[in-house]
Amino acid sequence: MSYLPTFPVEELSKSAVVALFIAGIVCVSEAAWIHAKATLAQALIGAAWRREQAGSGSTRPWPWADTHPVARLTFGGGHNARTFTILEGSSGRNLAFGPAHDPASVVPGEPGNSVIEGHRDTHFALLRDIKVGDVLRVESLTSLSVSFKVTDIRVVDSRRARISLHADGPRLTLVTCYPFDAVAPGGPLRFIVTAERIGMPIEAHGARISSESNPGA
Amino acid sequence: MRVVKMVSRAASSVSFLLLLALHAGALPANARASLDAPSGTLYLKSSPDADAQEALRMTTTMQAQVTGNVARVHVTQTFLNSGSDWVEGLYVFPLSAGAAVDELFMTVGDRTIRGEIQEKVQAQATYAKARSEGKQASIVDQERPNMFTTAVANIAPQSTVSIEITYLETIPYRDSRYTLRLPLAITPRYMPGARLDPAAPLAAANAAWVNAAFGTSATPERVTAPGQKVDITIELAPGFPLGSVQSLHHAAEMKDDGSGKRIHLTGTQVAADHDFELVWTPAVTDDVAAAAFAEKVGDDTFALVVLTPPNVADDAAQSREVTFIIDTSGSMQGPSIEQARAALQMGIERLKPGDLFNIIRFASDSSSLFAEPQLAGASTRILAGQFISALRADGGTEMRAPLEQALSTAPNAGYLQQIVFITDGSVGNEAELIALIHRQIGPSRLFTVGIGAAPNSYFLEQAAAAGRGSYTFIAEREQVKSRMQELFQKLERPALVDLKLRWPDDLAADVAAPIPGDLYAGDPLVILARLPRSPSANLILSGHIRGQDWTHPVAVTRVGEQSGLSKLWARERIGDLARQVQYGGDREQLRASILALALKHHLVSDVTSLVAVDTVVVRPPGSSGHVEQAPTSAPSGSYWATTGFAKTATPAGLLLDCGLACIVFGGILLWAMPRKAVAR
Repeated sequence: MSYLPTFPVEELSKSAVVALFIAGIVCVSEAAWIHAKATLAQALIGAAWRREQAGSGSTRPWPWADTHPVARLTFGGGHNARTFTILEGSSGRNLAFGPAHDPASVVPGEPGNSVIEGHRDTHFALLRDIKVGDVLRVESLTSLSVSFKVTDIRVVDSRRARISLHADGPRLTLVTCYPFDAVAPGGPLRFIVTAERIGMPIEAHGARISSESNPGA
Repeated sequence: MRVVKMVSRAASSVSFLLLLALHAGALPANARASLDAPSGTLYLKSSPDADAQEALRMTTTMQAQVTGNVARVHVTQTFLNSGSDWVEGLYVFPLSAGAAVDELFMTVGDRTIRGEIQEKVQAQATYAKARSEGKQASIVDQERPNMFTTAVANIAPQSTVSIEITYLETIPYRDSRYTLRLPLAITPRYMPGARLDPAAPLAAANAAWVNAAFGTSATPERVTAPGQKVDITIELAPGFPLGSVQSLHHAAEMKDDGSGKRIHLTGTQVAADHDFELVWTPAVTDDVAAAAFAEKVGDDTFALVVLTPPNVADDAAQSREVTFIIDTSGSMQGPSIEQARAALQMGIERLKPGDLFNIIRFASDSSSLFAEPQLAGASTRILAGQFISALRADGGTEMRAPLEQALSTAPNAGYLQQIVFITDGSVGNEAELIALIHRQIGPSRLFTVGIGAAPNSYFLEQAAAAGRGSYTFIAEREQVKSRMQELFQKLERPALVDLKLRWPDDLAADVAAPIPGDLYAGDPLVILARLPRSPSANLILSGHIRGQDWTHPVAVTRVGEQSGLSKLWARERIGDLARQVQYGGDREQLRASILALALKHHLVSDVTSLVAVDTVVVRPPGSSGHVEQAPTSAPSGSYWATTGFAKTATPAGLLLDCGLACIVFGGILLWAMPRKAVAR
């Protein structure tokens, strides 16, 4: 028992406490930075969007950006409305700044499937509360404002599923990670929200159906 | 509440933290990747590859005029450079395998320059010279008989260049209908030996294979979906009262102006992810449909004779030995494999008692249902059904082994040997396979069934021709039943055998390609011939139907109604010469004949290209430029028409939990430490 005092328990404990506090602060501030970046970037991108819409100045949110805003997506209405500016290209870098549009898919509002992805814990955390029948509004550079109604919500395994880029009319597919509460990122599950355009001009729709049902006429 | 929740989550993360500590420096690869994924920072300059903003936009317009049995098609490709740099634009696009491409017009601003036909090497040199001089220029090359490339040099920033390509094509009357098919999508080709990487079709290794096989010039396909849009208008003047007109896969609006139909696709532009097919039928069908046209060009008269043999009902069907070969490679994934399974199931059901059959499936490897063909009975049909429902699409496309197996099966006396080959034909070693079929077909016949939105029709037509059979194209699941029914009706009764053609007045007719010895029901006979003068009497077709002599006179009186017959004749002859090359003929001699024909008739071929060069220098010396390739649409339903998933979670939650856990753990340690130690 006499050798115990020579073992520097106190010194080790002190260093451990300091190391743990430093690690803790670094981790927490890193997490805070991810959220700050997500919010700050949206403000800068929103400004770029307004410049792009006005047709003046640079459309890049910051001078060295390699992406540009393609659309604005609004959830809900009134006081609870949340609007995001969508960036082109769903790289990890873009997703850190805002929901991002998959460039393989069509621009939102065009005929076909437009795929928009977002982080489950920053921008697209609000998808947790979305319901079938909810209305989303999309403002793209070409059209003023197009409304989509949520028609389907499902969870898929990204290792087996793929998203078809084909759709008969304008479709919006929102993708985020699932479960929303998972601690570690990188899980295989995805939460998929499908929305179809509403308020299509009636005559155009009617013409399409009639020519399909009677093509030989 | 939130604080409590956070603390509880933090506590639950302690175990994860310990795990991390244990594995420090040896993180699992996937965890590292996901932690690295959202590495975007506001102050980091992007990587160079991410900087490549695409400036090139391309739109396609197609206009077709159908007169009788000939279609004249104008394809206009408009290249728009939306960037601030000079761009050289490239585009790989599909055309019908029999297309006689004869004109190129390049429009820049208000000037239009007509393209010249030159030997391919010379045309490419002409183009390269104009490009380096800063002139606007364009070239149309044939990569393969059904795949072409347009290159446009020096497209000025913020400006457009329009390229109009025209071609002629014969429209045969097959299975009681006329079909105009405009290929719009490309299935990336599989090169045997190269690994199929669906995420990067024809990546570097694969492109090298293509270039080795096709003489270094093949531009790799670059596919996306649903990238390209197309605008199609068709003017239809069939020359007879129409029974029905139908656009099979695209919604179309039709107007009748008395003399013919005008067909326009609804919506100004449609996604080019399906081949376009327009089908029409005459109001009255004759027992034998035959028509002949002639055109005088210089001293020569060119004749087009189209004949459909009589549709004979034959009860005394002959016993058959049918080998089904089915492609289960990765490119068949999605609706294609379902269609193929349905087609195969139908084939099995149509077999009669007394018929022999076997099924061979292949991907990277191949396997068969039976070692030897078996009699079609209740038990063998059940085994076949189980075999079919177990088929999955995965792996490469090694077609050689199954073809060899089917072709080398010793024929059973008294049986009609037939091979039904169901595939999307996405292979790169087309020539090798066609030569194999030609060499080993013997008394068998090979019938190809093209599956999916855009099968490789050129290969499947050539394979069927080499195998003395016919080609059936099935684009959609709904068509499987009707098309397979037509094919099996055909297989069950050959219509016309010992077919011969006799020209009047002993005219020395130069027929573009040898006529087949026999015709199956519904198959058309298309004859293109060069004659020293217009025939003054009927030409006579003769043969045997069910052992009976059969003759049919055809009058070649409709002179001047059709134009372009000389070009169609030359195209058909070039196709025949190219087939002879594939079957192992004298390459140099055949190549010289193709070159002479193509230059004389102003046609794009394997050895000739159309090139147009403007006289004005537009690009100032020293200004920067780059090359961009506009993507071609991938067929709908294929792997390339879908998209994957991004990593949509940040490590923020994990970092927060770990951080809080560290602080809590540190706090506990601080609290647990003897006061003496802290004070000291």
